[in-house]
Amino acid sequence: MPISLEIVTPSETVYSELVDHVVIPTLRGKIDILPNHVPLIDKLVAGDIKVEKEGVVEYLAVGSGFIEVYSEKVSLLTDQAINVSTTEDSEIDAAIKRAEEALIEGKRSNFDQSKIDKLEAAAKFAFAQKMAKGKTR
Amino acid sequence: MPNTRDIRNRIKGVKSTRQITRAMQMVATSKMKKAQDSAKSGRPYALLLSDIIVSIADEFEEITSSYFVGKPVKHRGILVIGTDKGLCGALNGNLFRNLSDVENSAKFVAVGKRASQYLSRTRRDLLADFTLPDKPTFSDIRKIVDFLLRSYDEGSIDTIEVLFTSFINTLRQEPELVRLFPLNGLDEMSEKLHQRFGVSDHEVPKDDREIIIEDREAILSELAVLYLKQEVFQLILEAQASEHSARMVAMKTATDNAGNLIDDLTLQYNRARQAAITQEILEISAASFSK
Repeated sequence: MPISLEIVTPSETVYSELVDHVVIPTLRGKIDILPNHVPLIDKLVAGDIKVEKEGVVEYLAVGSGFIEVYSEKVSLLTDQAINVSTTEDSEIDAAIKRAEEALIEGKRSNFDQSKIDKLEAAAKFAFAQKMAKGKTR
Repeated sequence: MPNTRDIRNRIKGVKSTRQITRAMQMVATSKMKKAQDSAKSGRPYALLLSDIIVSIADEFEEITSSYFVGKPVKHRGILVIGTDKGLCGALNGNLFRNLSDVENSAKFVAVGKRASQYLSRTRRDLLADFTLPDKPTFSDIRKIVDFLLRSYDEGSIDTIEVLFTSFINTLRQEPELVRLFPLNGLDEMSEKLHQRFGVSDHEVPKDDREIIIEDREAILSELAVLYLKQEVFQLILEAQASEHSARMVAMKTATDNAGNLIDDLTLQYNRARQAAITQEILEISAASFSK
Protein backbone atom coordinates (compact mmCIF):
# COMPACT_ATOMS: atom_id res chain seq x y z
CA MET A 1 0.00 0.00 0.00
CA PRO A 2 1.85 3.08 -1.19
CA ILE A 3 1.65 6.55 0.32
CA SER A 4 1.55 9.73 -1.68
CA LEU A 5 4.45 12.15 -1.41
CA GLU A 6 4.16 15.76 -2.41
CA ILE A 7 6.96 18.33 -2.34
CA VAL A 8 5.78 21.90 -2.81
CA THR A 9 7.94 25.02 -3.16
CA PRO A 10 6.82 28.62 -3.69
CA SER A 11 7.57 28.38 -7.38
CA GLU A 12 6.18 24.94 -8.21
CA THR A 13 5.12 21.48 -7.11
CA VAL A 14 8.40 19.65 -7.50
CA TYR A 15 7.36 16.09 -6.79
CA SER A 16 4.01 14.38 -6.56
CA GLU A 17 3.96 10.61 -6.71
CA LEU A 18 2.97 7.42 -4.91
CA VAL A 19 5.94 5.93 -3.05
CA ASP A 20 6.61 2.97 -0.75
CA HIS A 21 8.42 4.84 1.96
CA VAL A 22 10.38 8.01 2.46
CA VAL A 23 13.13 9.12 4.87
CA ILE A 24 12.96 12.78 5.87
CA PRO A 25 15.40 14.92 7.88
CA THR A 26 13.74 16.77 10.78
CA LEU A 27 15.03 18.85 13.66
CA ARG A 28 15.28 15.76 15.84
CA GLY A 29 16.95 13.53 13.26
CA LYS A 30 15.78 11.50 10.32
CA ILE A 31 12.39 9.84 10.33
CA ASP A 32 11.30 7.02 8.08
CA ILE A 33 7.70 7.31 7.03
CA LEU A 34 5.98 4.09 6.07
CA PRO A 35 2.37 3.52 5.07
CA ASN A 36 -0.11 3.84 7.93
CA HIS A 37 2.04 6.34 9.77
CA VAL A 38 0.33 8.37 12.49
CA PRO A 39 -0.49 11.97 11.59
CA LEU A 40 2.45 14.24 12.24
CA ILE A 41 3.54 17.81 11.78
CA ASP A 42 7.17 18.77 12.24
CA LYS A 43 9.90 21.02 11.00
CA LEU A 44 11.96 20.02 8.01
CA VAL A 45 15.65 20.86 7.92
CA ALA A 46 17.80 21.24 4.83
CA GLY A 47 19.12 17.85 3.80
CA ASP A 48 18.55 14.84 1.63
CA ILE A 49 15.37 12.84 1.27
CA LYS A 50 15.44 9.16 0.42
CA VAL A 51 12.47 7.98 -1.58
CA GLU A 52 11.83 4.32 -2.31
CA LYS A 53 9.40 3.52 -5.04
CA GLU A 54 8.84 -0.03 -6.33
CA GLY A 55 12.30 -1.05 -5.21
CA VAL A 56 14.02 1.92 -6.89
CA VAL A 57 15.73 4.33 -4.50
CA GLU A 58 15.90 8.02 -5.36
CA TYR A 59 17.49 10.93 -3.54
CA LEU A 60 16.21 14.49 -3.46
CA ALA A 61 17.71 17.53 -1.82
CA VAL A 62 15.42 19.93 0.02
CA GLY A 63 15.74 23.22 1.88
CA SER A 64 14.15 23.88 5.25
CA GLY A 65 10.40 23.98 5.82
CA PHE A 66 7.59 21.87 7.27
CA ILE A 67 6.34 18.30 7.05
CA GLU A 68 2.78 17.16 7.33
CA VAL A 69 1.78 13.52 7.41
CA TYR A 70 -1.97 13.12 7.26
CA SER A 71 -4.20 10.28 6.04
CA GLU A 72 -1.63 8.45 3.90
CA LYS A 73 -0.26 11.64 2.44
CA VAL A 74 3.15 13.15 3.10
CA SER A 75 3.39 16.84 2.24
CA LEU A 76 6.65 18.73 2.35
CA LEU A 77 6.49 22.50 2.37
CA THR A 78 9.94 23.83 1.57
CA ASP A 79 11.67 26.81 0.04
CA GLN A 80 13.52 24.72 -2.52
CA ALA A 81 13.87 21.16 -3.73
CA ILE A 82 15.73 19.37 -6.48
CA ASN A 83 16.15 15.88 -7.86
CA VAL A 84 19.87 15.32 -7.62
CA SER A 85 20.15 12.59 -10.23
CA THR A 86 19.52 15.23 -12.89
CA THR A 87 22.28 17.60 -11.81
CA GLU A 88 26.00 17.32 -12.47
CA ASP A 89 28.58 16.92 -9.70
CA SER A 90 30.66 19.82 -10.94
CA GLU A 91 27.62 22.09 -10.91
CA ILE A 92 26.93 21.26 -7.30
CA ASP A 93 30.55 21.77 -6.26
CA ALA A 94 30.61 25.10 -8.04
CA ALA A 95 27.37 26.10 -6.33
CA ILE A 96 28.76 25.21 -2.91
CA LYS A 97 31.92 27.13 -3.59
CA ARG A 98 30.05 30.16 -4.85
CA ALA A 99 27.68 30.13 -1.91
CA GLU A 100 30.44 29.79 0.67
CA GLU A 101 32.54 32.52 -0.87
CA ALA A 102 29.59 34.84 -1.06
CA LEU A 103 28.74 34.06 2.54
CA ILE A 104 32.23 34.87 3.80
CA GLU A 105 32.31 38.00 1.70
CA GLY A 106 28.87 38.97 2.92
CA LYS A 107 29.72 38.54 6.60
CA ARG A 108 32.89 40.56 6.22
CA SER A 109 31.33 43.47 4.42
CA ASN A 110 28.35 43.64 6.77
CA PHE A 111 25.46 42.93 4.46
CA ASP A 112 22.01 43.28 5.88
CA GLN A 113 20.70 40.23 7.67
CA SER A 114 18.21 39.21 5.01
CA LYS A 115 20.96 38.81 2.43
CA ILE A 116 23.11 36.73 4.73
CA ASP A 117 20.18 34.48 5.57
CA LYS A 118 19.50 34.01 1.91
CA LEU A 119 23.11 33.07 1.22
CA GLU A 120 23.20 30.75 4.18
CA ALA A 121 20.10 28.95 2.96
CA ALA A 122 21.67 28.66 -0.49
CA ALA A 123 24.87 27.20 0.96
CA LYS A 124 22.99 24.68 3.08
CA PHE A 125 20.89 23.66 0.14
CA ALA A 126 23.89 23.24 -2.10
CA PHE A 127 25.52 21.09 0.55
CA ALA A 128 22.39 18.98 0.91
CA GLN A 129 22.53 18.35 -2.82
CA LYS A 130 26.09 17.15 -2.49
CA MET A 131 25.19 14.76 0.27
CA ALA A 132 22.19 13.41 -1.57
CA LYS A 133 24.27 13.00 -4.70
CA GLY A 134 26.95 11.13 -2.82
CA LYS A 135 24.42 8.52 -1.78
CA THR A 136 23.23 7.75 -5.28
CA ARG A 137 26.56 6.15 -6.10
CA MET B 1 -6.53 76.84 -42.85
CA PRO B 2 -3.31 75.28 -41.54
CA ASN B 3 -0.74 74.76 -44.22
CA THR B 4 0.30 71.35 -45.43
CA ARG B 5 3.72 71.39 -43.89
CA ASP B 6 2.35 71.91 -40.34
CA ILE B 7 -0.06 69.03 -40.76
CA ARG B 8 2.65 66.79 -42.12
CA ASN B 9 4.83 67.52 -39.09
CA ARG B 10 1.99 66.73 -36.71
CA ILE B 11 1.32 63.42 -38.46
CA LYS B 12 4.97 62.54 -38.07
CA GLY B 13 4.85 63.39 -34.36
CA VAL B 14 1.72 61.35 -33.72
CA LYS B 15 3.19 58.43 -35.64
CA SER B 16 6.27 58.29 -33.46
CA THR B 17 4.11 58.53 -30.34
CA ARG B 18 2.11 55.60 -31.63
CA GLN B 19 5.29 53.63 -32.12
CA ILE B 20 6.28 54.23 -28.52
CA THR B 21 2.91 53.33 -27.05
CA ARG B 22 2.82 50.21 -29.18
CA ALA B 23 6.23 49.16 -27.92
CA MET B 24 5.10 49.77 -24.34
CA GLN B 25 2.01 47.69 -24.99
CA MET B 26 4.16 44.78 -26.18
CA VAL B 27 6.44 45.03 -23.18
CA ALA B 28 3.47 45.11 -20.80
CA THR B 29 1.94 42.09 -22.54
CA SER B 30 4.98 39.92 -22.07
CA LYS B 31 5.49 41.11 -18.49
CA MET B 32 1.86 40.44 -17.75
CA LYS B 33 2.15 36.85 -18.93
CA LYS B 34 5.17 36.26 -16.75
CA ALA B 35 3.60 37.91 -13.72
CA GLN B 36 0.44 35.87 -14.17
CA ASP B 37 2.41 32.65 -14.42
CA SER B 38 4.40 33.33 -11.29
CA ALA B 39 1.26 34.38 -9.42
CA LYS B 40 -0.34 31.09 -10.39
CA SER B 41 2.64 28.89 -9.63
CA GLY B 42 2.65 29.93 -5.97
CA ARG B 43 -0.85 28.66 -5.38
CA PRO B 44 -0.22 25.04 -4.34
CA TYR B 45 2.24 26.30 -1.74
CA ALA B 46 -0.28 28.73 -0.31
CA LEU B 47 -2.96 26.05 -0.14
CA LEU B 48 -0.73 23.48 1.55
CA LEU B 49 0.44 26.08 4.04
CA SER B 50 -3.08 27.07 4.99
CA ASP B 51 -4.07 23.40 5.30
CA ILE B 52 -1.20 22.76 7.70
CA ILE B 53 -2.06 25.82 9.79
CA VAL B 54 -5.70 24.82 9.99
CA SER B 55 -4.90 21.26 11.03
CA ILE B 56 -2.43 22.42 13.71
CA ALA B 57 -4.83 25.04 15.03
CA ASP B 58 -7.54 22.37 15.27
CA GLU B 59 -5.37 20.46 17.74
CA PHE B 60 -5.21 23.36 20.14
CA GLU B 61 -7.75 23.77 22.90
CA GLU B 62 -7.02 27.45 23.03
CA ILE B 63 -4.47 29.47 21.13
CA THR B 64 -2.82 32.23 23.08
CA SER B 65 -0.36 33.49 20.47
CA SER B 66 -0.99 37.12 19.56
CA TYR B 67 -0.76 36.18 15.90
CA PHE B 68 -4.04 34.33 16.22
CA VAL B 69 -5.96 36.17 18.89
CA GLY B 70 -7.05 39.67 18.03
CA LYS B 71 -6.48 42.64 20.26
CA PRO B 72 -8.87 45.57 20.44
CA VAL B 73 -8.06 47.52 17.31
CA LYS B 74 -6.77 51.01 17.95
CA HIS B 75 -4.60 51.42 14.89
CA ARG B 76 -5.19 49.40 11.78
CA GLY B 77 -2.04 48.63 9.86
CA ILE B 78 -2.55 48.70 6.11
CA LEU B 79 -0.01 47.75 3.47
CA VAL B 80 -0.86 49.58 0.26
CA ILE B 81 0.55 48.03 -2.89
CA GLY B 82 0.66 50.64 -5.63
CA THR B 83 2.84 50.88 -8.71
CA ASP B 84 6.15 52.59 -9.28
CA LYS B 85 5.31 53.97 -12.68
CA GLY B 86 2.22 55.59 -14.09
CA LEU B 87 0.69 55.07 -17.53
CA CYS B 88 -1.53 52.29 -16.32
CA GLY B 89 -4.94 53.87 -16.62
CA ALA B 90 -7.15 54.28 -13.58
CA LEU B 91 -5.42 51.49 -11.63
CA ASN B 92 -3.89 53.58 -8.85
CA GLY B 93 -6.83 55.99 -8.72
CA ASN B 94 -9.28 53.16 -8.16
CA LEU B 95 -7.02 51.66 -5.54
CA PHE B 96 -6.63 54.86 -3.55
CA ARG B 97 -10.34 55.61 -3.65
CA ASN B 98 -10.74 52.71 -1.22
CA LEU B 99 -8.64 54.57 1.31
CA SER B 100 -10.96 57.55 1.60
CA ASP B 101 -13.30 55.82 4.02
CA VAL B 102 -10.52 54.38 6.18
CA GLU B 103 -10.42 56.12 9.55
CA ASN B 104 -7.56 58.49 10.34
CA SER B 105 -6.14 56.39 13.16
CA ALA B 106 -4.92 53.80 10.66
CA LYS B 107 -1.21 53.55 9.90
CA PHE B 108 0.16 52.78 6.50
CA VAL B 109 3.06 51.05 4.83
CA ALA B 110 3.48 51.72 1.15
CA VAL B 111 4.93 49.65 -1.66
CA GLY B 112 5.55 51.55 -4.87
CA LYS B 113 6.22 55.23 -5.42
CA ARG B 114 2.66 56.12 -6.37
CA ALA B 115 1.32 54.74 -3.10
CA SER B 116 3.80 56.63 -0.92
CA GLN B 117 3.16 59.83 -2.89
CA TYR B 118 -0.57 59.54 -2.41
CA LEU B 119 -0.33 58.73 1.28
CA SER B 120 1.97 61.60 2.06
CA ARG B 121 -0.10 63.98 -0.01
CA THR B 122 -3.24 63.08 1.90
CA ARG B 123 -1.32 63.41 5.19
CA ARG B 124 -1.85 59.86 6.33
CA ASP B 125 0.32 58.23 8.94
CA LEU B 126 2.91 56.61 6.71
CA LEU B 127 5.21 54.34 8.70
CA ALA B 128 7.51 53.23 5.90
CA ASP B 129 7.68 52.92 2.17
CA PHE B 130 9.37 50.24 0.15
CA THR B 131 10.25 49.81 -3.48
CA LEU B 132 10.53 46.44 -5.10
CA PRO B 133 12.45 45.25 -8.15
CA ASP B 134 10.56 44.37 -11.27
CA LYS B 135 10.60 40.66 -10.55
CA PRO B 136 10.51 40.37 -6.76
CA THR B 137 11.71 37.18 -5.13
CA PHE B 138 10.70 35.69 -1.82
CA SER B 139 13.71 37.23 -0.10
CA ASP B 140 13.00 40.71 -1.50
CA ILE B 141 9.78 41.01 0.44
CA ARG B 142 11.39 39.85 3.66
CA LYS B 143 12.18 43.37 4.80
CA ILE B 144 8.57 44.40 4.33
CA VAL B 145 7.27 41.45 6.31
CA ASP B 146 9.87 41.93 9.03
CA PHE B 147 8.84 45.53 9.39
CA LEU B 148 5.14 44.67 9.57
CA LEU B 149 5.75 41.95 12.13
CA ARG B 150 7.91 44.19 14.29
CA SER B 151 5.27 46.91 14.31
CA TYR B 152 2.65 44.29 15.13
CA ASP B 153 4.70 42.82 17.98
CA GLU B 154 5.46 46.24 19.41
CA GLY B 155 1.79 47.06 19.30
CA SER B 156 2.03 50.15 17.11
CA ILE B 157 -0.41 48.45 14.74
CA ASP B 158 -3.12 45.99 15.76
CA THR B 159 -3.95 44.42 12.43
CA ILE B 160 -2.06 43.66 9.26
CA GLU B 161 -4.16 44.34 6.20
CA VAL B 162 -3.23 44.57 2.55
CA LEU B 163 -4.83 46.83 -0.04
CA PHE B 164 -3.96 45.69 -3.52
CA THR B 165 -5.45 45.34 -6.99
CA SER B 166 -6.64 41.83 -7.46
CA PHE B 167 -6.32 40.32 -10.88
CA ILE B 168 -9.62 39.02 -12.24
CA ASN B 169 -8.82 38.95 -15.92
CA THR B 170 -6.89 40.99 -18.43
CA LEU B 171 -9.63 43.57 -18.72
CA ARG B 172 -10.78 43.61 -15.12
CA GLN B 173 -8.80 44.38 -12.01
CA GLU B 174 -10.47 45.29 -8.76
CA PRO B 175 -9.08 46.84 -5.60
CA GLU B 176 -9.36 44.55 -2.63
CA LEU B 177 -8.61 44.89 1.06
CA VAL B 178 -7.71 41.65 2.84
CA ARG B 179 -6.84 41.15 6.47
CA LEU B 180 -3.97 38.78 7.18
CA PHE B 181 -3.27 39.23 10.91
CA PRO B 182 -4.64 38.42 13.45
CA LEU B 183 -5.41 35.00 12.08
CA ASN B 184 -8.76 34.43 13.71
CA GLY B 185 -11.43 32.72 11.70
CA LEU B 186 -9.03 30.22 10.16
CA ASP B 187 -11.68 28.13 8.45
CA GLU B 188 -13.08 31.17 6.74
CA MET B 189 -9.58 32.20 5.67
CA SER B 190 -8.85 28.79 4.20
CA GLU B 191 -12.18 28.77 2.39
CA LYS B 192 -11.55 32.20 0.93
CA LEU B 193 -8.14 31.13 -0.25
CA HIS B 194 -9.56 28.10 -2.00
CA GLN B 195 -12.25 30.24 -3.54
CA ARG B 196 -9.77 32.78 -4.80
CA PHE B 197 -7.75 30.06 -6.51
CA GLY B 198 -10.84 28.42 -7.92
CA VAL B 199 -10.35 25.17 -5.98
CA SER B 200 -13.85 24.65 -4.68
CA ASP B 201 -14.14 20.94 -3.94
CA HIS B 202 -11.38 20.67 -1.43
CA GLU B 203 -12.18 17.54 0.52
CA VAL B 204 -9.61 16.47 3.05
CA PRO B 205 -9.96 12.78 3.88
CA LYS B 206 -10.44 12.43 7.61
CA ASP B 207 -7.82 10.85 9.78
CA ASP B 208 -9.12 10.45 13.30
CA ARG B 209 -5.86 9.68 15.00
CA GLU B 210 -4.30 12.44 17.01
CA ILE B 211 -1.64 14.45 15.24
CA ILE B 212 1.83 14.29 16.77
CA ILE B 213 3.29 17.75 16.91
CA GLU B 214 6.53 18.48 18.66
CA ASP B 215 6.94 21.93 20.02
CA ARG B 216 3.56 23.09 18.81
CA GLU B 217 3.70 26.69 20.04
CA ALA B 218 6.94 27.31 18.18
CA ILE B 219 5.80 25.61 15.01
CA LEU B 220 2.52 27.45 15.04
CA SER B 221 4.05 30.89 15.31
CA GLU B 222 6.64 30.02 12.70
CA LEU B 223 3.91 28.87 10.38
CA ALA B 224 2.01 32.09 11.00
CA VAL B 225 5.04 34.13 10.03
CA LEU B 226 5.58 32.03 6.95
CA TYR B 227 1.92 32.46 6.09
CA LEU B 228 2.19 36.23 6.32
CA LYS B 229 5.29 36.21 4.19
CA GLN B 230 3.79 33.95 1.61
CA GLU B 231 0.52 35.88 1.40
CA VAL B 232 2.24 39.24 1.07
CA PHE B 233 4.39 37.76 -1.69
CA GLN B 234 1.40 36.29 -3.46
CA LEU B 235 -0.57 39.53 -3.26
CA ILE B 236 2.37 41.53 -4.58
CA LEU B 237 2.67 39.17 -7.54
CA GLU B 238 -1.03 39.51 -8.19
CA ALA B 239 -0.85 43.29 -7.95
CA GLN B 240 1.93 43.22 -10.51
CA ALA B 241 -0.08 41.09 -12.88
CA SER B 242 -2.86 43.66 -12.53
CA GLU B 243 -0.48 46.53 -13.11
CA HIS B 244 0.92 45.08 -16.28
CA SER B 245 -2.45 44.19 -17.72
CA ALA B 246 -3.84 47.63 -16.87
CA ARG B 247 -0.84 49.18 -18.58
CA MET B 248 -1.28 46.93 -21.58
CA VAL B 249 -4.90 47.99 -21.98
CA ALA B 250 -4.08 51.67 -21.44
CA MET B 251 -1.32 51.51 -24.04
CA LYS B 252 -3.52 49.69 -26.50
CA THR B 253 -6.11 52.46 -26.16
CA ALA B 254 -3.41 55.06 -26.67
CA THR B 255 -2.17 53.27 -29.78
CA ASP B 256 -5.69 53.08 -31.19
CA ASN B 257 -6.32 56.74 -30.44
CA ALA B 258 -3.09 57.70 -32.17
CA GLY B 259 -4.26 55.70 -35.20
CA ASN B 260 -7.56 57.61 -35.30
CA LEU B 261 -5.77 60.90 -34.93
CA ILE B 262 -3.48 60.02 -37.81
CA ASP B 263 -6.48 59.18 -40.00
CA ASP B 264 -8.12 62.51 -39.18
CA LEU B 265 -4.95 64.44 -39.80
CA THR B 266 -4.33 62.65 -43.09
CA LEU B 267 -7.80 63.62 -44.26
CA GLN B 268 -7.16 67.21 -43.24
CA TYR B 269 -3.81 67.15 -44.99
CA ASN B 270 -5.28 65.87 -48.24
CA ARG B 271 -8.02 68.48 -48.09
CA ALA B 272 -5.50 71.24 -47.58
CA ARG B 273 -3.34 69.94 -50.39
CA GLN B 274 -6.29 69.70 -52.76
CA ALA B 275 -7.49 73.18 -51.79
CA ALA B 276 -4.03 74.56 -52.52
CA ILE B 277 -3.99 72.92 -55.95
CA THR B 278 -7.47 74.16 -56.80
CA GLN B 279 -6.48 77.61 -55.67
CA GLU B 280 -3.43 77.56 -57.92
CA ILE B 281 -5.41 76.39 -60.97
CA LEU B 282 -7.98 79.10 -60.34
CA GLU B 283 -5.27 81.70 -60.17
CA ILE B 284 -3.61 80.49 -63.39
CA SER B 285 -6.86 80.33 -65.35
CA ALA B 286 -8.01 83.68 -64.00
CA ALA B 287 -4.72 85.16 -65.09
CA SER B 288 -4.99 83.71 -68.64
CA PHE B 289 -8.61 84.93 -68.99
CA SER B 290 -7.73 88.46 -68.12
CA LYS B 291 -5.21 88.72 -70.95
